[in-house]
Amino acid sequence: MTNLIDINPSLIEYAHRYLQRFMSINIDELKMLLSYCEIRQVEKRTILVKEGEVDNYLNMVVKGLVMKYVRVKKNDMILQLATEGHVIHSEISFLTRTPSLVFVETLEPTVMLSLTYDKMEEALDKFPQGERLGRLILTGMYVKKEESRYFRLLRSARERFLDYINAHPHMLQRVPQKYLASYLNIKPETFSRMKHLVAKQ
Amino acid sequence: MINDLLTFLNKFVKVSIEEFAELIAWTEPRQFEKKTILTRPGDVEEYMYFITSGLIRKYFLKKDQEIITHLVKEGGIIGSGESFLTGQPSRYFVETLEPTTAFAISRQKLEEMYGSSKKWEKLGRIMTTQYFLVQEMRLMDNIRYSTRERFVKFMNENTDLLQRVPQKYLASYLNIKPETFSRLKHLMNPK
Repeated sequence: MTNLIDINPSLIEYAHRYLQRFMSINIDELKMLLSYCEIRQVEKRTILVKEGEVDNYLNMVVKGLVMKYVRVKKNDMILQLATEGHVIHSEISFLTRTPSLVFVETLEPTVMLSLTYDKMEEALDKFPQGERLGRLILTGMYVKKEESRYFRLLRSARERFLDYINAHPHMLQRVPQKYLASYLNIKPETFSRMKHLVAKQ
Repeated sequence: MINDLLTFLNKFVKVSIEEFAELIAWTEPRQFEKKTILTRPGDVEEYMYFITSGLIRKYFLKKDQEIITHLVKEGGIIGSGESFLTGQPSRYFVETLEPTTAFAISRQKLEEMYGSSKKWEKLGRIMTTQYFLVQEMRLMDNIRYSTRERFVKFMNENTDLLQRVPQKYLASYLNIKPETFSRLKHLMNPK
């Protein structure tokens, strides 16, 4: 376990902060949970999961940037952009052990803390309060999805743009504009025009 | 009726008759007239409902327009889930469209139930996973399928709803303009 921590000191901090949102976890418990995980390090533009493959991993980004997208009639629609501290994978595929409908791909060289499905099952069973932690993490995922759907339906393109860029200003530098536009469900031309809204602030 | 709930649960986790009786004791039967608003925006959702008969819709207001996100009939689970799970005020209305009977479980009872045994904690984890998956699959369907495809898929799976739900509600749920919905009706399998 000490090896994992030596590799990247932020790892333990991200993992701890993430888990603390759901229940109080002490350092020994954290080490136990980390022992189920593995570190994966990949180049940029690595496809972690292709459409049609079963996703065997749940990943937390420790360093780097990962995107999830769906290919609809040769057009890629970005569903998620995950940076440090965020969890990303093909959820339906991972949870149901069925072929993925989406792609998961790195945009930057990326270090991830990853958990396989089998190790997750083991942790749910063996970790004290594992079932509770699992339920609370799933609840968190559900609530987050539900909120993003609500705001997508409620807000105009302009509002979606401003909310996102204000909350994640660094993403304009890290992610190609066409991907951000797709993620926000805004036409690329409209996205370009909206950029002046940021400059003014 | 009560068997529907057992059948439903058995899809996810093996529940014995004894366990089922124990589980039912955490719930309360509730009954509503049609057009009863169970939850309003600003309320904290106190219940999740397993519908044994009837129909419930969940919606929010975008300016003056009702946006329907859920239509759930007998055999399904509904409530303002996000509020129920977080204890934060609901953004949604939950309203019966027909006289409805349901097994309801309150936030407090559910917490007590989870705390009472690892078996129920596990059921909770599996049901939460299921709830998440249903939502995620629907999101994927909305992205991957055209308006026409979504209409055909939903209406073939829920033929009864055309009689039970006003068309404008079905159109809102499918995120289709009411005019388009009317035009698409010829695509339904003749019965």
